[in-house]
Amino acid sequence: MSSLAFFLNEGVNALSQAALLFFLGVGLTLIFGIMRIVNFAHGALYMLGAFVAYSLAHWTGSFWVALALAPLVVGAIGTAFELVILRRLYARDAHAFLMVTFGLALVVSEAVRLIWGPDALQVLPPRPLAGVVFLLGEPFPVYRLFLVACGVAVALAIWQLLERSRLGLLIRATSQNAEMVHALGIDVNLVRSATFGIGCGLAALGGVLAAPLVTASHGMAGTVIIDAFVIVIIGGMGSFLGSLIGALLVAFVQVFGNYYLPDFALAFMYLVMLLVLVVRPGGLLGKEA
Amino acid sequence: MPSRLLGLLVVGLLIAAPFELPAFAMTLLTELVILGLFAMSLDLMVGYTRLVSFGHAAAYGFGAYASGYMLLNSSLPLPFAVLLAAVMTGIVAIGVGWVCTLATGVSFSMLTLAFAQLLYAIGFKWTSVTGGSDGLAGIPRRPGPMGLTVLTTKSGFYYFTLVCLIGSLLLCQKLVASPFGAVLRGIRENEAKTLALGYNTRLYKVAVVAISYALGGLAGALYAPFAGFANTELLFWLLSGQVLIMVIVGGAGTLIGPIIGAAFFLLLAHQLSAYTEAWALFFGLVFIGFILFAPQGIWGLATAWRKHGEGSMAEGRADG
Amino acid sequence: MTWKPRLTRRAMIAGTGAGVASPFVWTSAHAQAGNALKIGMPLALTGPLGSVGQQQKRGAEFYAKLQNAKGGILGRKIELLIEDTAGNPATCVRKAQEMVERYDCRLFTGITLSSEALAIVPKLAEWNAIFISSDNGDGRLTAESFVPNFFRANISGPMGARAVSLYISEAKLKSFYALGLDYAWGHNSVEVFENEMKRRNIAFIGKVFAPTGTKDYSTYIAKIRQSGADGVYLVLAGDDNNAFLAQAAQYQLSAKMEMLTEQIELSALRAVGDAAVGLVGSTRYAFTIDTPDNKEFVESWKTEHKILPDTFEGEQWQCMKVFEAGIIKAGGGEADKLRAALEDLTIESIKGKVFLRKCDHQGVQQGFMVRVVKKAGFDYPIPEVISKLPAERTTPPCNKTTYED
Repeated sequence: MSSLAFFLNEGVNALSQAALLFFLGVGLTLIFGIMRIVNFAHGALYMLGAFVAYSLAHWTGSFWVALALAPLVVGAIGTAFELVILRRLYARDAHAFLMVTFGLALVVSEAVRLIWGPDALQVLPPRPLAGVVFLLGEPFPVYRLFLVACGVAVALAIWQLLERSRLGLLIRATSQNAEMVHALGIDVNLVRSATFGIGCGLAALGGVLAAPLVTASHGMAGTVIIDAFVIVIIGGMGSFLGSLIGALLVAFVQVFGNYYLPDFALAFMYLVMLLVLVVRPGGLLGKEA
Repeated sequence: MPSRLLGLLVVGLLIAAPFELPAFAMTLLTELVILGLFAMSLDLMVGYTRLVSFGHAAAYGFGAYASGYMLLNSSLPLPFAVLLAAVMTGIVAIGVGWVCTLATGVSFSMLTLAFAQLLYAIGFKWTSVTGGSDGLAGIPRRPGPMGLTVLTTKSGFYYFTLVCLIGSLLLCQKLVASPFGAVLRGIRENEAKTLALGYNTRLYKVAVVAISYALGGLAGALYAPFAGFANTELLFWLLSGQVLIMVIVGGAGTLIGPIIGAAFFLLLAHQLSAYTEAWALFFGLVFIGFILFAPQGIWGLATAWRKHGEGSMAEGRADG
Repeated sequence: MTWKPRLTRRAMIAGTGAGVASPFVWTSAHAQAGNALKIGMPLALTGPLGSVGQQQKRGAEFYAKLQNAKGGILGRKIELLIEDTAGNPATCVRKAQEMVERYDCRLFTGITLSSEALAIVPKLAEWNAIFISSDNGDGRLTAESFVPNFFRANISGPMGARAVSLYISEAKLKSFYALGLDYAWGHNSVEVFENEMKRRNIAFIGKVFAPTGTKDYSTYIAKIRQSGADGVYLVLAGDDNNAFLAQAAQYQLSAKMEMLTEQIELSALRAVGDAAVGLVGSTRYAFTIDTPDNKEFVESWKTEHKILPDTFEGEQWQCMKVFEAGIIKAGGGEADKLRAALEDLTIESIKGKVFLRKCDHQGVQQGFMVRVVKKAGFDYPIPEVISKLPAERTTPPCNKTTYED
C-alpha cells in the first residue's frame, strides 16, 4: 500500500484506539477529580460491561440494546457500591479507598468468572457495522469508524454535561471546593454518588464497545486498568480535556510506535508517562495532586 | 504483657519453629518471613513518609534477578550474593527516587509504577541476562564463606531469612525513632511546613526510597534462592498492588503491622484457594470488611485488644 | 445502622488469628487416608488462562472418575490434588511444594503455563517426583531445560510448527510472514517455522512479535498485509488469539492471504465464531480425530458433560492414560521405578500411537492439520482434520527443538 494510504489507515486506527482509551480514562478522571478516589476497580467494571453486554445481546438479539443498557446496569452497580460502602470512607485517608476498590476489583472479577464461566465470549457488532470501507484502496472496518464517532459523541456529551448542565456545574464545583458546595446547601453526597455512577457507566461503555474487537474475556480487567491510569495521569488527574489528550497521545504513540519499533511495544506508554511527568508533574492539564 | 517481652517471646517461637513444625509448614514460614520483610520495607515509604508506591515490585524483582544471576553465574556464596543484590537495589533506587520525587501525590505513585513497568519490560526483553519471559531457573543456594554449608539447608536458610528480617526491623525501628525518622513524619504530616523549617525534604524522600528499595531488594534477593527461580511476575504491578494491600491491612506506619499483614495475606490466600475456586471473591470481601470494621489494620486491632484487655477503652492508634 | 465495634473487632481478631494459624490447624480436603495414588495438579483455574486449567481439571477428573469406578490403578484409587495457582509461578511452586511435603504427593501433571513448568522442573529431583506434562509446549523442556523426572505426553510447540511446515510443502504457497506472541513460546515456534521455510526454499519475508495483552492488532495486521506474502503463520493463544482473529476478520485479511496457525482449539472457535472460518493449523487434539479410542472417548464425554471435548481435555486424558500405563508397568508410583517404566513406553491413545522415547522423554506421536469449517448441527465452526503427519517426521531429533531433514 502507498505511504499515504498507510498513514490514513493507521491514523484512523489510532483515533479508534483513542476513543476506547478515552472512555476508560474519562470515567476514572471524573471519579478522581471529585472524590479523590483512585479507583482500582475500573478495569473490572470495564470487563463487567462487556460481559453484561454479551448477555443482553444474547437475550434480545440486539447489540444496540446491549450498548444502551450495559453501561446503565454497571453504573447502577457502581452507584450502589458508593452508597453502601464508599460513603462511609470520605472522612478517612486515601489508603481506605485503595484497599476498598482493590477488594471490589477482586470481587467483581471473580463474580464475572462465576456467572459467565472461564471462557471468552463472543459479542458481535451489528450487521450494518460489520463490513469494510475502502480508504485509498485499503479495507478499513466500519466498526472502527463507528468507534471514532462514538468517541466524539461521548466527548461532546460529557462536555455538555460538565459545562452546560446543573449537575456538571455541581461536579466541577465539588471537585474544586466540596465544603463550599456543602455550605451552599447542596447535598454533596448526591453529587458524589452520581459522579461515581457515571464514571463506572463510562468504564462499562468502553467495555461494551471493545467487546466486538477483543471478545468479552477475563484478561480484560488486568490489561486495561494500567492503561486507564496512565492516560489519566498524562492528561492530568481530574481534567476532562486531559483525559482526551492523554488518550490521543497514548493511542498515536502506540499505533505508530508498534509499527516502527515493535520491540518497544511494552514500554511506550510508560516512557510517554515518564516524559510528561518529569516535565509537568501534575500531568499535561492537571494541577498537583 | 509489655511489648518487649512479647517481642522476645515471638522471636523465641520463630527460632524454635524448625524443631516443632513439619516440613511444609517451615517452607511456608520461610516464605512468610521473606514477604514480611518485603511489606515492612514498603511501610517506611507509605506509613512514615506518605509516599505511596505503586511500583515496589521493582525492588523485589530487581533484588531477585540480581541475586539469582550472581548465584547462577558466579561462585559467590549465598549470603554475599543476597546482601550485594540488596545494596545494588538500593543504589538503583537512588536514581528512581530522584526522578519520582519530582512529583508528589498520585503522580509520584504513577512514576514509581512507570519505573516498575519499564523494569518489567527490560526483564522481559533482555533475554540473555534475565532469561526473558522464562526468567532464571534452577537458582542454587551456594555454600557460604569458608565452606560453610549450613545456609544451604532448609533450616539454615530459614534462620538466614529470619536474621535478615529481624535485623532490618531493628534497623528501621532505630531509623524511625531517630531525628531522620522525625523528619519523615514531618514530611508525612505537612511537607510544606517541614520544608519551611529548613529541611531539604527532597533529599530525605530520596533517602527513604533508597533504603526502602534496598530492604525490598533484600527480600527479593532471598526469594530467588528460596524458590529457585526469578521471573518477570516478580516485577509486575499486580505484586506491587498486593504488597501495598499487605501494608494497609497490617497497619501502615507500625513496621510490625505490615509483617503481620503479609503473613495474613499469604496464609488467607493459600487456605482459601485450597477450599474453593472462588477464593478471590472472599479475599476481596475480607479487605472490604477490614476497611469498614478495622480501619487501623491488624496491628491496630491487636494494640486495641491489648489496651482493652488492660482496662483501657482507648482505640489503638497506629503510631510510629 | 448502629455498630457494635467491640463485637466486630473481636470477630476480626478471631478471624485474623484463624487465618494466620490455618495451615497448621485445619485439615484440608486432601487429607485422605489409605494408599490412594495421589496426583498433584497445581492448575491455573482462575485468571486469563483459567479456561485452559479448567479443561485440564475436567480431563483429569473424568479419567479419575471412570478409572476409579473400575477399581483404580492396581487396585489403588486415584486421588487428584487440584489447586488454583491463578497462573502465577510463585503460587505454583508453593502449592506443589506443599503437595510434596504435606501430602507426600510425588506425581504431577497439568501445570498450565510454561513459566510455571519451568519453575517446577528444577525441583523435581529434590522432591523425588515425576511430572508428566499435558499441555506445556515449550521446546526446551525436552532440550536445554530437560531433567530426567520430566515427561511430555503432549504435542510440543516445535512439533506444531513442524506440522504446519510439512503441510505447506504440499500446498502451493510461496512466501510467508509470521506473527507471534512476544515471549518464549512465540519466539521458539516462529524460529522453528522460519528454519523450515528456509530449508524448503520458501520465502520467509519477515516476522513481528506482539506483547501479550495487546488489544489492538491493527498495526500488526497492516504489517502482514504490507508484506505481500501468500500466507501468514500465527503463533497466538488465548485472549490475544481471539482478539487477532476477530480483528483480522474485520479487516478481511483472509481474503488476501492464507492464515495458518500453530494451535487450534475449540474455545477460540467458540469465542470468535465465523471469524475463524478458513483458518488452517496444527491442533494438539480435536474431537474430530477419528481413531476408535477417540470416538469412544468423545461419546462418553458428551454423555457426561453434554458438550464436545476441547483440546486440553483430550490432551489431559491422553496424559492420564500414560500415567496409567506407566504405573501399571512399574507396579506403583515410586519415582525411580516409574521413570524406568515410562521410558520407551508405547500406548495406544485417542490420538493414535504414543511412544515415550527414552532420550528426551518426548511423546512421539503423529501431527494433525485441521481446517476450521462451518458445519450443520454445530453452533460454532469446528476443526476438520485435513492431514495427518507421521510421528517420525513431526517429532524433532532427541533433545533438539530444530529439525534436520
